[in-house]
Amino acid sequence: MHPSGCGIGLRAPHVAEVLERRPPIGWLEVHAENYMGGGPAVRALERLRADYPLSIHGVGLSLGSAEGIDSGHLERLARLVERLGPALVSEHLSWSATGGAYLNHLLPLPYTDEALDVLCANVARAQDRLGRRLLVENPSGYLRFRDSSISEPEFLNALARRTGCALLCDVNNVYVTCCNLGGDAVAWIDALDTSAVAEIHLAGHAVNDADGQTVLIDDHGSAVADPVWSLFEHALRRLGPMPTLIEWDTDIPALDVLLGESAKASRRLMKASGVVAA
Amino acid sequence: MSSLRELQAAFRAALLVDDEAAVTPTIVDDDVGVSARLAIYRHHVFTSLTAALEATYPVVMRLVDRRFFGWVADRFVRAHPPAGPCLTEYGDDFPEFLAQFPACGHLPWLADVARLEWAMNVALHAPDAVPLEPGTLRALEPRALARLTLRLEPSITLLESPWPIDAIWRANQPDADGVVDLEGGEARIEIRRVGDDVVFRTLPAGTFAFRAALSSGRALEDAVERALDAEPGFDLASEIRALLDERALAA
Repeated sequence: MHPSGCGIGLRAPHVAEVLERRPPIGWLEVHAENYMGGGPAVRALERLRADYPLSIHGVGLSLGSAEGIDSGHLERLARLVERLGPALVSEHLSWSATGGAYLNHLLPLPYTDEALDVLCANVARAQDRLGRRLLVENPSGYLRFRDSSISEPEFLNALARRTGCALLCDVNNVYVTCCNLGGDAVAWIDALDTSAVAEIHLAGHAVNDADGQTVLIDDHGSAVADPVWSLFEHALRRLGPMPTLIEWDTDIPALDVLLGESAKASRRLMKASGVVAA
Repeated sequence: MSSLRELQAAFRAALLVDDEAAVTPTIVDDDVGVSARLAIYRHHVFTSLTAALEATYPVVMRLVDRRFFGWVADRFVRAHPPAGPCLTEYGDDFPEFLAQFPACGHLPWLADVARLEWAMNVALHAPDAVPLEPGTLRALEPRALARLTLRLEPSITLLESPWPIDAIWRANQPDADGVVDLEGGEARIEIRRVGDDVVFRTLPAGTFAFRAALSSGRALEDAVERALDAEPGFDLASEIRALLDERALAA
């Protein structure tokens, strides 16, 4: 089953309810690292994958690590992918691990030729082991490196061109990054190679104050913000209808709130594919 | 800076030990400031890892209160950052860290309560095991049986403490009053997953010694000797039957 329409990021507090109610959701996406042990969590997912298209979203492969990706973790991801047979497998344009420490964050990369070579080698290795195309997601940015010589969308385009990977466009991350680092979010979307994009993410962000300066934090802790909905509509005009995911990870609300967000995205997706919602 | 590897090492130093000297010149400075920008990343690393420890050690958190726990967790994360991205596997050395942590010295049972919570976490996420069929044992010669090493299924931990850690754990569940008799005596506990649930119970001295010996990989003969030392009336035949009935042996 291939994802289409709008899905939700399935988090632990909702698993039992989704199993019980089987609500109409386009597809489900889960974080790979939460299902790498045994026990009830992964068994629940095996039951759900019979009814919903599934996407596995890794947060821990650290594709941007200069020292290469951890072969033990890649093996575990490969075994999970073999066990669950998801339609999509995705990861991030970021790094988390260095010198044996895993820093549990999607950390920023300088967009340089050296970093591009590192990314290409790591993505190629992951795709070889998994035997499939990986989707790579743009992160939320809070700083820029002086050495960066390539724009973020151009960096992603080059990665897709050189490795054959697909791109996951997180529209909220585009908005957060452009607000935090100065940039035009519409131009960012327009610079992306449309043929490489295979999935969209949407989520809420927090608006914080840092010494009088506004900083947006990608906390996945609220409803999708209005300017992000507008940017999503722009992305759909450019990319066409695209499997879209609602993520909510902190202050997780009732499942119905998530389904409401998903319905909002679905209406826009239908409009983009020329279907007028009743 | 010459290479991505050095940049990542410098970034790690800024996040984990607040040493921003090497990474600051590589970052574009502006109205927000480099330190404030690094702090956004650092804040997420520490809050998310503290949340992971809170999820694994809720009773320890209740015992020391949330603010103190946050302070201990901060010290722990700096000294023992995760080795990998599966956060349910993070914090195996937290009990030992608590045992050595001077500010917890007045709570001598705290580290053992943490060991109990770690064992429950291990049980919840242990691989699903195929239990040993009774027929496999019946087919063996008695002498081969003595040299046999029986393996407990992977969710099981045997834990011994001079403190009544099982009673402390129960008294500190969300709806409990926290009152416990610390003179309640030692605890010999077996923790495991049954179906989808993690359970624990206390075992008699002989059974505990026997299973603890199997758990550390000792041969059957050796395990029996230890069980008899702990409890002269230990009965091997009924113990083996119990292990099979409880589906506690791995194939």
